Amino acid sequence: MAATDAKKLSKKRKVAPEEEAPVPAPSAFPQEVGLEMGSEDEDGDEDEASDDGEVEDFPEIDASSDTEDEGDDEDELDDEEDEDEGESDASDDSLHVWPKPKTVISDITGQPIRVYPDIEPDYDSDSSTEDTPNRVGDIPMHWYDDLPHVGYDINGKKVLRPARGDELDKFLKTVEDPEAWTSAFDKNMQSDKPLTSEELDIIRRLQQNENPDANYDPYEPTVEWFTGKGKEEVMPLSAAPEPKRRWVPSKWEKQKVMKIVRAIRQGRILPNKPKTASGAPQFYAIWNEDPSTGPAPAPAPKPTLPGNSESYNPPEEYVPTPEERKKWEETDPEDREREFLPQKYAALRLVPAYDNFIKERFSRQLDLYLAPRVQRVKLRIDPESLIPKLPSPSSLRPFPVYRSLQVPHEEVRTRAISVSPDGAWVVSGDESGLVRLWEVLVGKEVKRWKFKGKVGAVEWCPRMDVSFFAVGIEDHIHFLIPPNLPGPILTATQNVLAPATLPPPPATASPVKWNSVPAAQSSSDAPILTLSLPSSPEPPKQLVWHRKGDYLASVSEAQGGVWMHQISRRHSQAPFKKVKGQVQLVLFHPTKPHFFVATQRYVRMYNLAEQTLLKTLTPGIRWISSMDVHPSGDHLIVGGYDRKLCWFDLELSDKPYKILRYHARALRSVAFHPTYPLFASSSDDGSIQIFHARVYNDLMTNPLIVPLKILRGHGVREGLGVFAVRWVPRQPWLVSAGADGQVAVWCA
Amino acid sequence: MASTSTSEPTHPVVFITQTPYPLPTQKFMIPASWKRYQLSQLVNKALSLPKPIPFEFLVRGEILRGTLTEWCTENGVGEEETLEIEYFESVMPPQRMSTLPHEDWVSSVSCQVPGYFLTASYDGALRIFDYSQTLLQTIPAHNAPATSICVVPSSAESPDSFLVASASHDLTARLTRIDLSQPKQPRAETLASLHLHTAPLSSVAASSSHILTSSWDGLIGLWDTKIPETDEVPLDEAAAAAGENRKKRRKVADDGEPVPRPKRKAPAQVLKSHTARVSRVVFGRGESASAAYSCGMDSTVRTWDVENGLCTSTITAANKPFLDIALTQTGTSALAASTDRTVSQYDLRLASSSATTPSVASLAHPATPSCVAVAPASSGPASAAEHQIVTGAYDGVVRLWDLRSTKGAVASFKAWDGAKKVLSVDWSRGLVGVGGEGGVEVWKVGDGEQMPGASACSCPSTDVDEIISTHDIRTTRDVFQLSVYRPPMQERQ
Repeated sequence: MAATDAKKLSKKRKVAPEEEAPVPAPSAFPQEVGLEMGSEDEDGDEDEASDDGEVEDFPEIDASSDTEDEGDDEDELDDEEDEDEGESDASDDSLHVWPKPKTVISDITGQPIRVYPDIEPDYDSDSSTEDTPNRVGDIPMHWYDDLPHVGYDINGKKVLRPARGDELDKFLKTVEDPEAWTSAFDKNMQSDKPLTSEELDIIRRLQQNENPDANYDPYEPTVEWFTGKGKEEVMPLSAAPEPKRRWVPSKWEKQKVMKIVRAIRQGRILPNKPKTASGAPQFYAIWNEDPSTGPAPAPAPKPTLPGNSESYNPPEEYVPTPEERKKWEETDPEDREREFLPQKYAALRLVPAYDNFIKERFSRQLDLYLAPRVQRVKLRIDPESLIPKLPSPSSLRPFPVYRSLQVPHEEVRTRAISVSPDGAWVVSGDESGLVRLWEVLVGKEVKRWKFKGKVGAVEWCPRMDVSFFAVGIEDHIHFLIPPNLPGPILTATQNVLAPATLPPPPATASPVKWNSVPAAQSSSDAPILTLSLPSSPEPPKQLVWHRKGDYLASVSEAQGGVWMHQISRRHSQAPFKKVKGQVQLVLFHPTKPHFFVATQRYVRMYNLAEQTLLKTLTPGIRWISSMDVHPSGDHLIVGGYDRKLCWFDLELSDKPYKILRYHARALRSVAFHPTYPLFASSSDDGSIQIFHARVYNDLMTNPLIVPLKILRGHGVREGLGVFAVRWVPRQPWLVSAGADGQVAVWCA
Repeated sequence: MASTSTSEPTHPVVFITQTPYPLPTQKFMIPASWKRYQLSQLVNKALSLPKPIPFEFLVRGEILRGTLTEWCTENGVGEEETLEIEYFESVMPPQRMSTLPHEDWVSSVSCQVPGYFLTASYDGALRIFDYSQTLLQTIPAHNAPATSICVVPSSAESPDSFLVASASHDLTARLTRIDLSQPKQPRAETLASLHLHTAPLSSVAASSSHILTSSWDGLIGLWDTKIPETDEVPLDEAAAAAGENRKKRRKVADDGEPVPRPKRKAPAQVLKSHTARVSRVVFGRGESASAAYSCGMDSTVRTWDVENGLCTSTITAANKPFLDIALTQTGTSALAASTDRTVSQYDLRLASSSATTPSVASLAHPATPSCVAVAPASSGPASAAEHQIVTGAYDGVVRLWDLRSTKGAVASFKAWDGAKKVLSVDWSRGLVGVGGEGGVEVWKVGDGEQMPGASACSCPSTDVDEIISTHDIRTTRDVFQLSVYRPPMQERQ
């Protein structure tokens, strides 16, 4: 029964190899075929015998085999049988692990001997135990390539190399032999060997990703060792009653829970604690950041190698002289070029201990303890190299350098000066109403006029064919003729100022009255022509002639303070109906019909011909005090009470090209020289500064401004310095008037 | 010298001179502590001069002021170097002789007439003083500031009567005849007015036959000295009006005595070349007496051929507007004062083709030098006069220079108290007339003739050296305490 069961099992699993089948056989067959089996050769017989047995059982097994002849109806029954048989099998196997020996009567001795059946090597046993005639072992077989044999068998006989055909034979063999495709080359035997069905089965399993072991059953039934029918534990192990704690809730647990509940109720524990504000993940790969794009940290500087001066016995030329030693000791430790003084010792044993040792250690400790180790970068820049390269003033001669003479005005503030267009005479007017005419070169007054009120401005007419000047006093503008004029010029001047036939009065009456003395009665002692402006508290601040000498513009503090007077038509008009802000200064453009008007902060440039505003210059000065235009008409300098001087390139921008701030006090006057490349500025600090200002025709080259000279000599009275500077035409000379009542001529 | 003690350091010196008192050309070992006084004594003793002559010593173009050691350390000359020392007669310290007070500034002073001083003032008047400082006459020649005055040298006329030319701001120059036949009552008559210029005149110069006027309009007028019978230039109305005014004034001045109106004279020639104001024109001296020299604000010194009215050569300086020019005695070089505070010496014989002519020497002043005068030929030994000039400056100091020593003035004196400008200097017969802001002062420079009543140099001749030595110290320290040396004349007044 057991044998048949085993056979059934093996058949049903469909994987049982032929060699495996006889495993349980020894228990089944001992009595039947045991007598005939005496050697290995007879195993086949025995197999046959078992085969025979199988044949006998065949109709029974057939239903569980793979053959499709039988119906599926018996499958369930088989399953049930399997369970039972499995149990019995397992119990059998556990009982009989090793095959039992057979007791055989020896042929030789006639005594019964126990013969064990041959051990059938299993699939998973060592393959080396397979029966193979070649016993060379696992060696590279090409060692035998040149030999007629391929190795030796277990008895030491040569195993001859089987005959191998050529490629054609191989091909024909594959075509003719149906088993050729299931054969593999046996390296050991150097011949093709047909694969066994088990090997083929293993290959197939491997191809189908199954377990190569045919005996492995992934769906083995569970073995119920302690449960199941008949295996229930009826009696308990202990008879002790179950403790109360098994069914009473834990008091301690309750206390703990209640503590937490109370904490939650009181808000001490937030049940849904908000997560950390930064949503950054708590864990992240620290190497995931991009590498820094900054420069790699600079390597530490290498210490300089010691030289001769570091030696304990340096050559004589390295030993400092007493002067060098003194100088070294006097300089601050930070400023020393080197930290030590070379010292000379005749021998190394004479070198004393390092005297700064304690100090150095202490400072090092301080460094480590508190102080950041800041490296002090000492700028080794030659201060000379920071100064812009400017030509030396001596190469820019001539310019005024000294005070040639001085004309005193009896300690009265002198605000107004003007130099005649031929450069020979100066008119100066002071606050006591005194107007003096004097020679530039000698300083000798040749004529004086006395008026009531302060003289605010004097200005020579720029015409060369006539000679007169205008004096602005309070609300009058007086026109005076200097003495000693040649006859033709005197006549021409009188005709200009007091023509015999007056021009027709303008259509609209002007508030400015023109009163002139007839030429016949005129003299140089009294003004030949007087303009009466609308009354204003302050004298006219400024008088400006147009270059042709026909128009005179006057500026005064009063409302609508700009007046334009035309001499030839004897007519005055106010060019601006209303001006934003108070007009400080006006100026005629030297070549174009343009007109500059400076208010407190801005300079506006008007075209008089078209009566349009051309541009507004913003000097950035809080209060403009003075302005002058370059003789070329392309540049304008503006001085302010806040000590600044702005240079405007009118072609370039509305913003200053350069802002100079060099005076200690407010600027009072600026002036360009009509021919020399010079300009001067005067200030309340009592100094006059002379600049070289070369303007190039080339638009690409910037103007060159070089400070040349500071002229000191004017006194400061009540915080007021030099009121006015004027250049002498044709000569590099300057005339200046100050609050100390002095008018000075500065010569080159 | 062998007699010097060995303890004192000595210096090798070679003496040279252009004076008639030469020392043998050998090397002298001079004690280094010696000053000018000892050197002067040495020369006097070595030559055993009958009358002691003080000498000045010139070491490498610099007058020795202190000891030789001081000079050597200052100039870095070693003790062993042989110094070449030139010596010449020293100038006596200038002495103030008299003061001629004026109400207005004096623009020009002339000492050319012996015994008299002529001044031109800014009030337009010409004044005559005699040596006793009495104002003989005031001639209201101009009604505008007079700028220049000069005496027309004439040998033909009697010595008591001479012709004076004056220039003025009223665009004319005038010729005035002054008759000094009655010493206390000189008579003056304005004979002619010279009409050419259209700007104030700056200077007038005269030779025996011609007059030159320079003006601010850049022109130089050449005139002869003849007084025309009739007006050569028609009268214009303005001038006529001015003339009437003047006539009125003159009537008042001359007690209503009618004075004939001066004749209007036209120029013989007009010299045109200056491009700016001509500040001074002078006649040539010596060989080039027919030439004229002018300087102007256009930084040029021009040489004129007067007969042809041509500019023969031009010396162009760089940025030196000239104020005054004077010719040296030989007439070969010109001294021109310019507003850059230098008086430059130019060699007139060099025909200049280059753009700027370098000056031979340049005398630096601390203020604007306004006037230059050259020592007259008669003053002192001829060799010394060749090199001596005086300059007046706007700081009120008149400086006496020796052209051989250009580094510093030989002597200087301050004309008035306070910084009053010196506008004119004239040097004649040992007298320097200084005109300017404070009037006129007369100083005695060198061996001049004695003014009557002014026994200035009464000191014994043996003390001369010491006086000069003391004066050295005074000038080096720039202290102008002249009261010590003021002649007794001052105290008497």
